[in-house]
Amino acid sequence: MSAAPVETAAATRQINDDLLRPLLNTSWRFWALVAVLGGGVLMGFCAWLYQLYHGIGVWGIAWPVFWAFGITNFVFWIGISHAGTLISAILRLVDAGWRRPVTRCAEAITAFALMIGAVFPIIHLGRPWLAFWLFPYPSERGIWPNFRSPLAWDFFAINTYLTGSLLFLFLPMIPDFALVRDKTTGWRRRVYGVLSLGWEGTPRQWHRLESAMGIMAVAIIPVAVSVHTIVSFDFSMSPTPMWHSTMFGPYFVAGAIFSGIAALIIAMAALRKFLHLEAYLQPIHFENLGKLLLTMSLLWGYFVFAERLTTWYGNDVAEITVLNVTQRGSFAPLYWTMVVCNLVVPFTILSIGRLRTITGCVIASFGVVVGMWLERFLIIVPSLGHKFLPYSFGEYRPTPVEIMLLVATFCAMMLLYVLFAKLVPIISIWELKAGGYHAIEAARLPETPLANVNL
Amino acid sequence: MPHKWGLAVDLDACTGCGACVTACHAENNIPTVGPDQAARGRAMHWIRIERYWEGEFPDVRLRFRPVMCQQCDNAPCEPVCPTYASHHTEEGLNAQVYNRCIGTRYCANACPYNVRFFEFFNPVWEKPLHLQLNPDVSVREVGVMEKCTFCVQRINAGKIQAKAEARELADGDIKPACAQSCPSKALVFGDASDPDSAVSKLRRSSRGAGLLEDLGTRPNVTYFPRHTEA
Amino acid sequence: MDRRAFIKLSALTGSAATLAGCGSPENHVIRFVPDDEIVPGIAQWKPGICPLCQAGCGLQVRVMDADAEVVRNGQRGMMKVAAAKKLEGAASNPINRGGLCPRGQAAIQITYHPDRITHPLKRSGPRGSGAFREVSWEEALAELAGRLDALAGAGAPTLAILTRPRRNLRQTLVATFLERFGAPSPLTYELFGDDVLRRANAISFGREQMPTFDLTRSNYVIGFGADFLGTWNSPVSQSAGYGAMRSGRPGARGRFVQVEARMSQTGASADEWIPVRPGTEGVLALGLAHVIINEQHRPPEAAGTAGALIEGFAGGLADYAPDEVAQRTGVAAARIARLARDFVERRPSVAIIGGAPLAPTNGLFHALAVNALNALAGSVGQPGGLFFMPQAGAPPAGRGGLDQAAAGLLSSADPPIQLLLIDEANPVFTAPAAWKVREALEKVPYIASFACFLDETSVLADLILPDHSFLESWVDARPESGALVAVAAAAPPAMRPLHSTRAMPDVLLDLSRRLQTPFDPPLPETFDAMLSESFASLPESEAGDAWTVAQTDGAWSGDLPQADPAARPAREPVRFVEAQFDGDAAQYPFHFLPYPSQAFLDGSTAHLPWLQELPDPLTSAMWSTWVEIGSEAAARLSIREGDMVEITSSQGSVRAPAIVSPGLAPDVVAMPVGQGHETFTRYASGRGSNPIAILAPMREPDTGALAWAGTRVRVARAGAPEGRLILFAGQMRDIEARER
Ligand SMILES: Nc1nc2c(c(=O)[nH]1)N[C@H]1C(S)=C(S)[C@@H](COP(=O)(O)OP(=O)(O)OC[C@H]3O[C@@H](n4cnc5c(=O)[nH]c(N)nc54)[C@H](O)[C@@H]3O)O[C@H]1N2
Ligand SMILES: Nc1nc2c(c(=O)[nH]1)N[C@H]1C(S)=C(S)[C@@H](COP(=O)(O)OP(=O)(O)OC[C@H]3O[C@@H](n4cnc5c(=O)[nH]c(N)nc54)[C@H](O)[C@@H]3O)O[C@H]1N2
Ligand code: SF4
Ligand code: SF4
Ligand code: SF4
Ligand code: SF4
Ligand code: SF4
Repeated sequence: MSAAPVETAAATRQINDDLLRPLLNTSWRFWALVAVLGGGVLMGFCAWLYQLYHGIGVWGIAWPVFWAFGITNFVFWIGISHAGTLISAILRLVDAGWRRPVTRCAEAITAFALMIGAVFPIIHLGRPWLAFWLFPYPSERGIWPNFRSPLAWDFFAINTYLTGSLLFLFLPMIPDFALVRDKTTGWRRRVYGVLSLGWEGTPRQWHRLESAMGIMAVAIIPVAVSVHTIVSFDFSMSPTPMWHSTMFGPYFVAGAIFSGIAALIIAMAALRKFLHLEAYLQPIHFENLGKLLLTMSLLWGYFVFAERLTTWYGNDVAEITVLNVTQRGSFAPLYWTMVVCNLVVPFTILSIGRLRTITGCVIASFGVVVGMWLERFLIIVPSLGHKFLPYSFGEYRPTPVEIMLLVATFCAMMLLYVLFAKLVPIISIWELKAGGYHAIEAARLPETPLANVNL
Repeated sequence: MPHKWGLAVDLDACTGCGACVTACHAENNIPTVGPDQAARGRAMHWIRIERYWEGEFPDVRLRFRPVMCQQCDNAPCEPVCPTYASHHTEEGLNAQVYNRCIGTRYCANACPYNVRFFEFFNPVWEKPLHLQLNPDVSVREVGVMEKCTFCVQRINAGKIQAKAEARELADGDIKPACAQSCPSKALVFGDASDPDSAVSKLRRSSRGAGLLEDLGTRPNVTYFPRHTEA
Repeated sequence: MDRRAFIKLSALTGSAATLAGCGSPENHVIRFVPDDEIVPGIAQWKPGICPLCQAGCGLQVRVMDADAEVVRNGQRGMMKVAAAKKLEGAASNPINRGGLCPRGQAAIQITYHPDRITHPLKRSGPRGSGAFREVSWEEALAELAGRLDALAGAGAPTLAILTRPRRNLRQTLVATFLERFGAPSPLTYELFGDDVLRRANAISFGREQMPTFDLTRSNYVIGFGADFLGTWNSPVSQSAGYGAMRSGRPGARGRFVQVEARMSQTGASADEWIPVRPGTEGVLALGLAHVIINEQHRPPEAAGTAGALIEGFAGGLADYAPDEVAQRTGVAAARIARLARDFVERRPSVAIIGGAPLAPTNGLFHALAVNALNALAGSVGQPGGLFFMPQAGAPPAGRGGLDQAAAGLLSSADPPIQLLLIDEANPVFTAPAAWKVREALEKVPYIASFACFLDETSVLADLILPDHSFLESWVDARPESGALVAVAAAAPPAMRPLHSTRAMPDVLLDLSRRLQTPFDPPLPETFDAMLSESFASLPESEAGDAWTVAQTDGAWSGDLPQADPAARPAREPVRFVEAQFDGDAAQYPFHFLPYPSQAFLDGSTAHLPWLQELPDPLTSAMWSTWVEIGSEAAARLSIREGDMVEITSSQGSVRAPAIVSPGLAPDVVAMPVGQGHETFTRYASGRGSNPIAILAPMREPDTGALAWAGTRVRVARAGAPEGRLILFAGQMRDIEARER
């Protein structure tokens, strides 16, 4: 990664103009969007206050299905968080040049999805005001959390990942903050001045930034893999039918990356359209991510097949009961929707070169987001409703409160993203420049050698 | 040697009457949730009488099986609890410390027997029904997991009484509410570390078996199946 | 922090606390000095008697301190009271031997029920509207005494007291009061009464009494419809015997066969469950007797009088050959023969009849047939067989005939009952609508009730003099069945009354003194004095005289010399006549089988929330009513679990959700009794429907008892599930039994 840019003054100006425009100009449409999304978040917040006041009984969970939407949302959003940091780290490590316009919007997804996901282990508690008992704080009574509990592992895993991801997001933003500082006046100059941590662009600073990024890129990959492995342990550590599986670690990680890429594609398509970044986020990016999505779809399908096959062949009564109820029983409509969304739709669209357009990729991605949410739900609820003793089998129906919370998470994600794109150049300006990757050249991208950098 | 509490359930004597269920409610301040919540699956029965039909009319049979916390020696509900609210005591009980419970409900998911119940709302005793509450058992608040304790308050009372009378605990001194009430004496409670206790004698019989024993939970409730002659 | 800051801060927190205090009424509550010596946290155990059924199980009441809201001198406040906390079976009581049924466990909620009547009430709106106003005891008693005075003398026979048939001194007191007043004996009504069996026992064995079964020592038991482990007769005592029979004897295990058309909770425990055509149970019993006699296991004479009563018994019951019986009952001939052999070969054995077989029009025949079978096998009065419990003084029997009384009221312009007192009876709910009890009661000029709760009958009263709960008053019982020794139980109040109520017996005694011409000689001053007097005739034991023993243990028990069986008038031998069912089979293809629910019996315990939320043993239903329908019939009528169905008899129809049951004969629909209350506290009112309402007024001709199994109905799907069926259980079948 060299910081020796080859650029023309015009190209530099063009990049600066294109990428700083969203920070400096604000239309009413922005405020309208913020109001709508903020309203959604507020609705979720009110739903939560209602829940706090009355008790978690306002959710639809009941004996014996004690987890449902809440934990589904948790696993789903932690899964989405694998879009950014992991993908970006891998692309950085293999030095894939086409990554440059992609990394920041990917990393931002990670940070926000993690924050949203991490809220759920707290608000799903029966007594959320005591959530701090999950944390290892020095208590007068000398009681620590139970380190044997996967929920305690979650605490460490998620916090580590969140810290790492925030650093990973923040470090490459420093030069861009300095750029904004230098190009603006007033409050912006002061705020971005602080954020840029005194960046002057000296060789020493460039060198330090590069080595820090190198270390982070290596370090964040095992953390990301471990996070979703540990999330999968929330299930696989219990002797519950269809949960108790050695495969859950890799299965969850694969699913996480799968849903993460889908989220990234959707986010990029939205940025491209609304921030007019057609010149930077090119069809080739979607094409490449689409291929990656196709790969993950097949991998996901393989995992589901392997899981179902061994369960069916193993023929343990309790597991077969859960298997049947998901595939043929009351959960079948959801199950087959999931298969269509996660396998049929992405496979059909993405395996046909002609359909692997931006629109195609976005459609497939929407399918995957829906499908992966259902996948998490279908891992949790049918198993809990059908554990060993049939007299205690039970059902689950969501309540409006749970649905509002689910909708609010999507609003929150979009809101955070919109605000982020308003405050931070959503494409790393300096990296773009460093890659010699400017608008003029980018417009002819398919002919440049960089375009051949493929997965 | 510390006590090791065990329960034997004689399915040959159990008539499915449900006296144990009401007795447990009365002893342990278990709230009724009312029809609306019951319809949503929130009824709390620390002990329940499972009933299973076998065969078709006219060659039909029915089996009852009282199921309460099995006080597993290798309890899946314990390691998953992040706050130690569900933990093991020296006397082999799976203890539930309501004050430590933050309501993750993880333990209930891990319990293969589905014997854990959750306070989805603050319990209500319409006055003056509250006067009946057993002062020896804490009333749980919203967001707390609860389950059969083997009537630990009675175990403690029995031990204190014996100590006050400067004697050893005798077999039969301690009876959980369910066993006390059971009209057909299908529930036998006692100290399994005392080889002469009634429950030890029963547990030595090869006829007894733990429920879902193959899961490795090492339950401390032993079931004696119904005889099947003819 | 310096001193100034500290003082400021203290002032701040102080005023904050004061403000907080203003907001919370708890902080204004006055605390009264308690009347009793109460040691907080220390439990006392006091004797008691379960009031919920005639079994009369003994209680140990755990009494501890509690904070109750009370009114003293018009001032509301909190007071530490000694409150009953838990009911347990009295281990020393020979009837329940430490156990209780779920109803007994829940009985404590009567005392603490939020909808108890806490004051005397006087009607202030139209009859049945439920509008009452509080009056003082003085006013209430003066009014009732005035009404009684108005009847005294010539009008005395127009006084009636309606109760349930009870085996206690309270009943004796009621009878005595009426007798001294010059009025006829108390009118009694019990929906699931066992008068038919008592009558049969009187005919077969010379004892008009419920039997007691020595199951502890039985080797073989055949039940004919008797839910003896759930609701019938003395269920706790019988369950104790049953448990001992199954597991109490090393190496020996009694076998149990149940014959019935609907699998009851008791039938569920049977080794062999035999569905039989309703109304033919006695035929099956005689079929067994036929085999026993004809295979010469026992001679017909062994059955003595009980056998001689049956036509053709001496001749070996030629009409009851297995093939013949198989045709009539639907039980295979080979099976009949096997059952018969088992019954004699595995002795001691006993046959138990109760419930539905006694409740078609030919119920008496079935009871006599089973009595004959028991006698033939030599099971009467023998270990492991059937006994009659020695009686420590039985209360005088009341008179039945509520239906006739109602008809009399409705037909005459001048009501034959001018003043009706109602004690512990709710016939408006438990009698068939066809009897028109409500309409009849509405014609009674004045009704006073001693009810603790506003049920369908007491809501019609003009005056309510609320009784104490059983924990707040002296209680007693002279059980008729359940032990091999005589039992006389009595217990003082376990706690002080919570409300402004008075014990009904003391109110009656008080009234007897308030009359213009008081009884002469007067009745005893108090009910407990009367009670202690009633114990005087019982023998002393080492522990002291019977009264002392009863008060400390809750019950005196011991052997009493039994009078010889009463001589019986000679009787024409009986023979099987087909049961008469209301409604013809073409139009009403199903037998309708209402049955006492495990939780609510005849509905009198439906107001207790623990019992409402107790899953029914067979269906796991809570807070619900339902109709059980056999799998085959359900399939034929396209009825699925939870669907609303309509059951129609010649008398009307009820709607309820369906439960498809594998344990029901194809031509039977069954429905638990207990729900369907209109006014019976917040927990029971407006919940489900009452199957009794649609029963036809069929009667067993000998006793006049309601033949509650004598109605035919038709069944139709009435709609999709309405969410009113609340089940606790998920699945009917265990995982091993389900197809993979
Ligand atoms: N509602 C209500 N409030 C009251 C009263 C009442 O009757 N009712 N009574 C009032 C009166 S008289 C009093 S004295 C106060 C008492 O009020 P508190 O002093 O608050 O009394 P407790 O709740 O009994 O005990 C406090 C804590 O001490 C812990 N503890 C027990 N042993 C030890 C020990 O050895 N070391 C330490 N560090 N902790 C220990 C217990 O687990 C408990 O959590 O309450 C007053 N407030
Ligand atoms: N198990 C257990 N035992 C304890 C404690 C505990 O935490 N647990 N705490 C201990 C402590 S710290 C304390 S202070 C004691 C408290 O023990 P107690 O002093 O027994 O306290 P209270 O329960 O408040 O009972 C006081 C009684 O006085 C009555 N009363 C109210 N006002 C008056 C009045 O003006 N005059 C008279 N004569 N009576 C009145 C009330 O109705 C009440 O019944 O308990 C001790 N015992
Ligand atoms: S039965 Fe369930 S709750 Fe009880 S110890 Fe075992 S796992 Fe825990
Ligand atoms: S619900 Fe309570 S007891 Fe169960 S795991 Fe969570 S904190 Fe522990
Ligand atoms: S042992 Fe106690 S807590 Fe457990 S079921 Fe029995 S009565 Fe309930
Ligand atoms: S009380 Fe005894 S007989 Fe009745 S259901 Fe419970 S265990 Fe069975
Ligand atoms: S059988 Fe049940 S309801 Fe009847 S007296 Fe005994 S405990 Fe009470």
